[in-house]
Amino acid sequence: MIQFNQVSKRYPGGFEALKNLSFQIETGELVFLAGHSGAGKSTLLKLIAGIDKPTSGSVVVNGQNLAAIRRGAIPFVRRHIGLIFQDHKILFDRTVFDNVMLPLDIVGYDRREAARRARAALDKVGLLGREKMNPISLSGGEQQRLCIARAVVHRPSILLADEPTGNLDRAYALDIMELFKSFHQVGVTILISAHDETLMADYGRRILRLSKGQFTQ
Amino acid sequence: MKHWLRLHRLALGSTLKLFAANPLASGLNLLVVGIAVALPLGLYTLVSNLNDLSGRLHTEPEASLFLRLNTNPIEIDRVQTMLEKQPEVAAVKLISKQQALHDLEQSSGMSELLAGLGSNPLPDAFSLTLKQSSPEQLDALAKRLQADPAIEFVQLDSAWARRLASIVELGRQTTLTVAALFGAGLLLVTANLIRMQILTRREEIEVSKLMGATDSFIRRPFLYFAGLQGLLGSVVGVVLVGLCLQRLTRPVDELATLYGERFALTLPGPDILLLTLAVVIALSFFGALLSVGRHLRAMDA
Repeated sequence: MIQFNQVSKRYPGGFEALKNLSFQIETGELVFLAGHSGAGKSTLLKLIAGIDKPTSGSVVVNGQNLAAIRRGAIPFVRRHIGLIFQDHKILFDRTVFDNVMLPLDIVGYDRREAARRARAALDKVGLLGREKMNPISLSGGEQQRLCIARAVVHRPSILLADEPTGNLDRAYALDIMELFKSFHQVGVTILISAHDETLMADYGRRILRLSKGQFTQ
Repeated sequence: MKHWLRLHRLALGSTLKLFAANPLASGLNLLVVGIAVALPLGLYTLVSNLNDLSGRLHTEPEASLFLRLNTNPIEIDRVQTMLEKQPEVAAVKLISKQQALHDLEQSSGMSELLAGLGSNPLPDAFSLTLKQSSPEQLDALAKRLQADPAIEFVQLDSAWARRLASIVELGRQTTLTVAALFGAGLLLVTANLIRMQILTRREEIEVSKLMGATDSFIRRPFLYFAGLQGLLGSVVGVVLVGLCLQRLTRPVDELATLYGERFALTLPGPDILLLTLAVVIALSFFGALLSVGRHLRAMDA
């Protein structure tokens, strides 16, 4: 599903965020990505989502090499990916419901069907009663759950989560992890990054450890 | 097709929301566009009205030709024959000094004053109807006639009309220049307004791109916005010109009455108004296209 072949990423100014990485994630796998801040976790996720391009090597997602893809094709790659951000990237100029509708509006989904799906996604993360509220009135954990609802509403085959539990206390973090587990059970390929490995250990999944742009064991 | 329509309906909806979200700013923007439209359109209106007037004036060029005082009848005959041979002259009419005096008495009501003059101070004259010729040809004709020793003075009656025509031409050139300037201004104003819209919606655009929005999805509401702004702005412009004309109606009417003319200012016809609308919408659209394109590329980096 996701395949890196000798991928390096160097930012303008010479900083080498990733050094010659090769790995593969199979369809339906749940993989953790561990490492300190600045180890290259976010860069790796950005390459998978086509937000950045590798300096060298190939990044193959869903059979497409993102290193060589033309600019106009990237939106269509992203439609198969759900993105979850540490800073949520929620829009505060619209309701909770409209935030979740955004990915469906982008695809041009039938409005009725889209509303049904949005409510189902909100129900899944336990925010169904809050759909008409402005997200500013949600707590940090609730905003993260809203972000997750938005990431899964269009039923992506890949879910990328960048430090989804970074700002949350342990009880909330466990909640979020349970959500990811339930998506994994329905066959979604999931890659979750975190700097705190204690949460990952409980799940007994593969852990990719990054340090200074390289894997360590 | 249905899917495509849905995307456009969505874009139009978010455009209308943009307008409604900030009514004061939207209104001011429309006024800016309206004034930018009203200035060249108003100028055009004045020039085309003036043009109508000049068209009514010089239907057929005429000339008046005055002989020296006390020219004898043989000379008068010779001049008349000479005039009739000129290729530019369509008709020659002699106005003898007696007749001229008689006409003057009739029209001015100064018969008593004129009766006191004793002798007739007026010269014999010819009134010439000319064939349609270029101004240069008419000037040459006037020069040729002026050289005749019996002729005191040649006055081309078309001179005034020609002066008006050249004023109209000047006005037309000015209108074109002003329209070009304001068109460029409109393009830049729209590009800038759209730029501000983009900056205030930067977050939404970035998130949308991460969710798989294509460039055209992001561009669409801004293009609709610019198009709608152009449409409503030019309507505002036409209304402004209409209001100005209404204000000018009375003074123009009074002025025209002084010249013995019936004359009223009118708005340009629907063809010109539609053309204005189309040009303004196209310019707004193009300005938005430039602006969005530039910012989309900048956001990629």
